[in-house]
Amino acid sequence: MTGCAVDAVPNGRTKVSLWFSYGGTNREVLESLVQRFNRSQTRDFVQAVYQGDYFEGLAKLRTAIAARCAPVLSHVVGEVVPYLAEAGVLEPLADYPGVRELDLIPELGQERTWLAGGARPLCALPFNRSTPIAYLNGDLFAQAGLASPRTWEELRAAAKRLTEPKAGGRFGFGCPINWWFWVALVGQAGGSIVAENGRISLGDEAGVRALRFWQELVQSGWMKPPPGRDYNAWEQCNQDFLSGRAAMIWSSTAFLKYLEAQARFPLIAAPLPAGVKRAVPTGGTFWIVLRGAPSAEKAAAVRFLRFMHEPEQVIAWSTRTGYIPVTHAAVQRLEQRGYYATHSNDRVALEQLTVAEPWPWSVDLFRIQREIVQPRLESAVVQQRDASDILTEARALALEPT
Amino acid sequence: MKPSRPADPYWMLLPSLLLLFVFFVFPLGMLVKHSLFSWDLLTPARYVGLANYRSLVRSGELWQTFGTTLSMSAAVVLGSMAAGLALAVLLDRPGRWAAFVRSAVFSAYVVSWVSVGLLFLWLLDADSGIFASIWRAFSDARAPHWLADPALAPWAVAAVTIWKITGYALVIFLSGLQDVPQTVLEAAELDGASPSQRFRNVTWPLLRPTTLFVGTTSLIASFQLFDVVRVMTQGGPVRSTTVFVYAIYEQLFLDLRVGRASAEAVAFFGILLLLTGAQFMLFRSEESA
Repeated sequence: MTGCAVDAVPNGRTKVSLWFSYGGTNREVLESLVQRFNRSQTRDFVQAVYQGDYFEGLAKLRTAIAARCAPVLSHVVGEVVPYLAEAGVLEPLADYPGVRELDLIPELGQERTWLAGGARPLCALPFNRSTPIAYLNGDLFAQAGLASPRTWEELRAAAKRLTEPKAGGRFGFGCPINWWFWVALVGQAGGSIVAENGRISLGDEAGVRALRFWQELVQSGWMKPPPGRDYNAWEQCNQDFLSGRAAMIWSSTAFLKYLEAQARFPLIAAPLPAGVKRAVPTGGTFWIVLRGAPSAEKAAAVRFLRFMHEPEQVIAWSTRTGYIPVTHAAVQRLEQRGYYATHSNDRVALEQLTVAEPWPWSVDLFRIQREIVQPRLESAVVQQRDASDILTEARALALEPT
Repeated sequence: MKPSRPADPYWMLLPSLLLLFVFFVFPLGMLVKHSLFSWDLLTPARYVGLANYRSLVRSGELWQTFGTTLSMSAAVVLGSMAAGLALAVLLDRPGRWAAFVRSAVFSAYVVSWVSVGLLFLWLLDADSGIFASIWRAFSDARAPHWLADPALAPWAVAAVTIWKITGYALVIFLSGLQDVPQTVLEAAELDGASPSQRFRNVTWPLLRPTTLFVGTTSLIASFQLFDVVRVMTQGGPVRSTTVFVYAIYEQLFLDLRVGRASAEAVAFFGILLLLTGAQFMLFRSEESA
């Protein structure tokens, strides 16, 4: 049971209970940084406990909050932050020493991750932040004389060209049928999930165009819809790419280091193509401090967060996982060290931040994502249901009172 | 027999009644109460009356989940019983080989559901799984996506469940077969009955109680399907493998809708109660016939 063991808190130190949601390399890196913090000072002690994937971890966190036994520190997906903030369970962080001085990249912090995020009390600090990117099998693209697709038309053509329809063959393109990638497509088609007047539009016509693009790729046999849901589908998609069953996939920049280490071919990371414009959503998680925890623990948790935002920790985290560095200082230091000159794949997600689109600050966003849109995306793509009908149905459901 | 002190039976029943109340009646009452509220565990619960039930019915979710559960259960019960009986008949003989096969078939029953799910996830992989390899030996077309196609996934999960629990049906049927009196079978043979006639007219009627037992236990196992769905399909694709227990889990732990999950659990309880009642009446009518 060593995997489940946590170190005992030494006498005299303030305990910071941290619930996290990573397995594999990301877990190892986080635990090494926690150890680094625990060794670096004698005042606080972070106890990091694994709680399953994002959704399992979130379920446990919400249950623990209700049962008044929540940890002081955790990290949650961006979509759920507005809901937790409006429920009043998040500690405002701006007045803690040193927090205002953090030189966060605005697109990755609360300020620009959400529309008017800077106007709200600061309750979330960026941790593992990402964008979707394209991963290309360099050998297959070179053999076919193809460059990374810059438009939907080029993506369609490349997927068709690289597909081997026979048994044991290959799909030109792979992508989890997941809300995050659909939101990317909606943005590229010129729409947004919530209209400027606050109406839940699910992209209107752009949403339909995005869905039809996916449907066309699947129906033509150029794209494999991976089995499973949530992160099982992501993992399946990664495995399809690594085994050569998919020539190109869309996935998170979070998998960059894992895929680079596992691929037996030159791996090329590329920005997502443009529809009528370029657009990507940001993803990943934010640190949150739970309001109900004792004051001393909350202060200790914020000291740990300040440590995690120091350039060396940000650099260690991003260069060992693939997530985007969240502070300007870390990026500058990496530039000075020539890191991006030798690791061009790492630059892709960072540069995509210029076209990152903010999320609406909506308490219903998580519900709309999980309950309304996600199951219908699956239905539209796998069962080829009419995209317009399905999004009209989803919009009506999104407006229903809960 | 009349107790010397009238209160004695009640005192003696009290521990069991207490346990029943604490672990069954009270949680059931809480479940019914929660089903009348909209609650996400964080914000205060809001009384909504029967809205959770109405929403489950109107959205079609209740009937879809019920249909999926029932069809997968029917496949699991019939499949495991047929396979268990066929194997029992084939293996009801002395010898090392039969004993080895009996043990091998039963061994699947003691493997954990999660391990079985992971194993079949690999075996059923549409590109590199063993079934895909067999498919490729006979066809140039791509192998079906057993777990990604909504038309195939429920049956793939049901087949995995059948594989897992057939060993149990085999053992029970074997004991039932060994309880069939040899004298009756020998008498039928002397009367000129063929092996198939002996099975149809002697063995099968005498196996009836065993069949009912296997049917009931398989039905319970199939209605409790969760682990294999969680590991292999997470209820998808397109909710095609969302059985009742998984739907309740999803509502409660992933969507955090305590009220909807409770309403779904109450509906599931009601349906199981009806099915149990129907089964009970069937037994009684057969006993009285």
